Amino acid sequence: MTIHRTIKALTVATLLGMAGQTASAQEAIRIGACLDLSKAYTFVSPQVAQAAQDLAKYVNQSGGIGGHPVEIIVRDHGNEPQRGVECYEQLKREGVFIFNFLSTPVTNAVLPRAMKDGNIVMQSFVGRGDAVDGEVFKWIFPVGPTYWQQAANDVAFIKGRLGGKLTGAKIGFIYLDYPFGQEPIEVLKTLSKAEGFDLKLYPVPLPGSDQASAWTQMRRDKPDYVISWILAGGHVVAFKEMKRNGFPIDKYLSVNWLNEVDIRNIGDEAAKGILRGTNVAGGQEVPLVKTLLENLYSKGQGSGPETSVRDVYYNTGLAIYAPAFEAARIAIKKYGWPLNAEKMKDGYESIKNFDGSGVMSPITVTAKDHGGGGKTRVEQWDGKSWVPLSDWSADYTDVVWKLIKENSSKFKVE
Amino acid sequence: MFYRLSGVHHASYMSDSRLYKIPADRNLALFFLALGLAAPFLFGSLYLNSYVLPWLVWTAAALGLNMVTGWAGQLHLGYAAVMAVGAYSAVHAAKFGVPWEFALLIGGISASVIGSLFAFAALRVKGLYLALTTLAMQFVMDWVLTHSPTISGGSHASLQAPTFALLGQKITSDTGLYYVAFGWCLLVTIFMLNLRRTGLGRALVAVREKDYAAAVLGVNSFYYKFVAFATSSFIGGVSGAILVATFFFLAAPEQFSVAVSIQALAMIIVGGLGSIIGTYFGVALILLMPSIVNGIVAGGASTLGLKLNVESLAHIPNAVYGALIIIILMIEPLGLGKLYGNIRDYLILWPFDQLKK
Repeated sequence: MTIHRTIKALTVATLLGMAGQTASAQEAIRIGACLDLSKAYTFVSPQVAQAAQDLAKYVNQSGGIGGHPVEIIVRDHGNEPQRGVECYEQLKREGVFIFNFLSTPVTNAVLPRAMKDGNIVMQSFVGRGDAVDGEVFKWIFPVGPTYWQQAANDVAFIKGRLGGKLTGAKIGFIYLDYPFGQEPIEVLKTLSKAEGFDLKLYPVPLPGSDQASAWTQMRRDKPDYVISWILAGGHVVAFKEMKRNGFPIDKYLSVNWLNEVDIRNIGDEAAKGILRGTNVAGGQEVPLVKTLLENLYSKGQGSGPETSVRDVYYNTGLAIYAPAFEAARIAIKKYGWPLNAEKMKDGYESIKNFDGSGVMSPITVTAKDHGGGGKTRVEQWDGKSWVPLSDWSADYTDVVWKLIKENSSKFKVE
Repeated sequence: MFYRLSGVHHASYMSDSRLYKIPADRNLALFFLALGLAAPFLFGSLYLNSYVLPWLVWTAAALGLNMVTGWAGQLHLGYAAVMAVGAYSAVHAAKFGVPWEFALLIGGISASVIGSLFAFAALRVKGLYLALTTLAMQFVMDWVLTHSPTISGGSHASLQAPTFALLGQKITSDTGLYYVAFGWCLLVTIFMLNLRRTGLGRALVAVREKDYAAAVLGVNSFYYKFVAFATSSFIGGVSGAILVATFFFLAAPEQFSVAVSIQALAMIIVGGLGSIIGTYFGVALILLMPSIVNGIVAGGASTLGLKLNVESLAHIPNAVYGALIIIILMIEPLGLGKLYGNIRDYLILWPFDQLKK
């Protein structure tokens, strides 16, 4: 009997919950955030979700976008393509047409459906690199630099450091040996031919906890710089190996996935000098973060713990969602309510010189370039905070775009 | 005697080898067949294409795994790799211009060939050693997929499947795709149902129970293990191809990772080794329960006004889901299929005792 009653209560609860959700959201701008909150990407998803919710809360407090509140629907997909598709199909039917998955496998799995249905996918910082080609991937918006562009920018930075030429230089590339890590190899190989530097590849098995052989090899090769496409805990292992093999830490240039937690695990002092190519301005001095801290967290209205705000992935979350909000604002201003995917797409493609109150480099999204320019900069950890070493820039764009076009031409919607 | 004896009595071999021993079972099967045929008109498109369709395709795949693990008793930890072989070769064949009917066949055969190649090596050892060898196959496949752009499709290792077509007709509607999945699942189910009453099926069971005892009876255990591996690989390969063609629309290595292999094994263990109806239940539990539990927890929290943060909301369903599996296996270690069987037997004894006539 009791089990029976519990089941009944649960069913009623679910139905009520569903009814409540649909009733309150008639006039809202709804963004479906199907994230991996329980498996592989837990080191970043919670901060991103929190940033998105904070941003929505703040915007709603100040009257919403064109008078319409923003609602972020957060769901977990556990990094499983199957569940991501489910989440997409379900939210799609509830009227959501803007999605964010923040996981490469899931984004890839949903991509054919979104392209067919004509729904917006915010694909910043993950997924296939050629999706910035707006002429092919009409509905995909990877606003921000792709891995290809990031790698190219890293090479340009190293070139600057080595006195403006790379001939005879040796650049190491240590990466997790699966699609995420392998992504920049093609760009690096092309550049190594064009610039005449020696590219050394050091694959590391997942999840990056065993890097011993890669670094002993590096000890022999003595690369001038090493670019690292490793995630989370892998950086800590890399640091230990650098110590062991006498590799200078200020020659270690990480991908943007290196945050305050990793630095703390390495040790604030010990990590002094480590380099990071970044897509977003880190820290709490960023005007947008400051605003949120003052307006939400000082009043205890934040969507999560304040410690998460002191994490670069929080800023990353803002950088993913701020352009979407801006696109919605432009779209509503231009075409009025109700918003739809078509208008939203146009809104995105009308974004000009938008920096999300300082959280990233100014981006200009066009119908051709959905990435917005792909600018990054390199920062160095000084023991307390990140010091920018270079200005926002995007280099070798011709090389990267050639590669983008080559790859995107193979994609077709059927 | 005044009372009828309970139990089912057979007076001839024909009666003993019938597919359905009592009419009620047959009627139930017919009912579900009709339900399956009518599903597109009964369920909304959301349920049809994101719950029922993957459920049927995975059931077909899991039945294949059940054949090698449940019937022949060989632990297989690399089933997703076999599915990947089928999926990738079918998609490549279809891209090359081969009609999908043959592409599926090519997928199945190549999966069967590669599966059997491994079986040759793997079947020299038994039990846990065999399990590890099949696991090795999974890792080899993972490595091949992530390291050969020609197979995996280049940019971020995703290979687009051409639009699915049968007999020259492109199939794009939810209903059409559903019928493809339903048809395949039906085919595999009929095969598996009949397997039980053939010599092959009995030989497989003999091998499972004790392979040298089977050898004493004149059953060549290596041969039958090998047949089981080849057949199940064929089913897995075609299922993998259909999964990509009707559900994902592109193939990526993550869809066939080691975690998926473990999941497939979990499906048949929770469902019941060697049970067909159990496989249906097991797949439903493993595949669909996470999102259903998610929905219930999220709905419940919002109704009760609980302000849970997004992380707890994601982890509580996982805990519930895990607990559910443990509870089910504690109540009935032989799985959901046995649980169903117990209930069925009970009900047939009373109050439906007239049904077995």
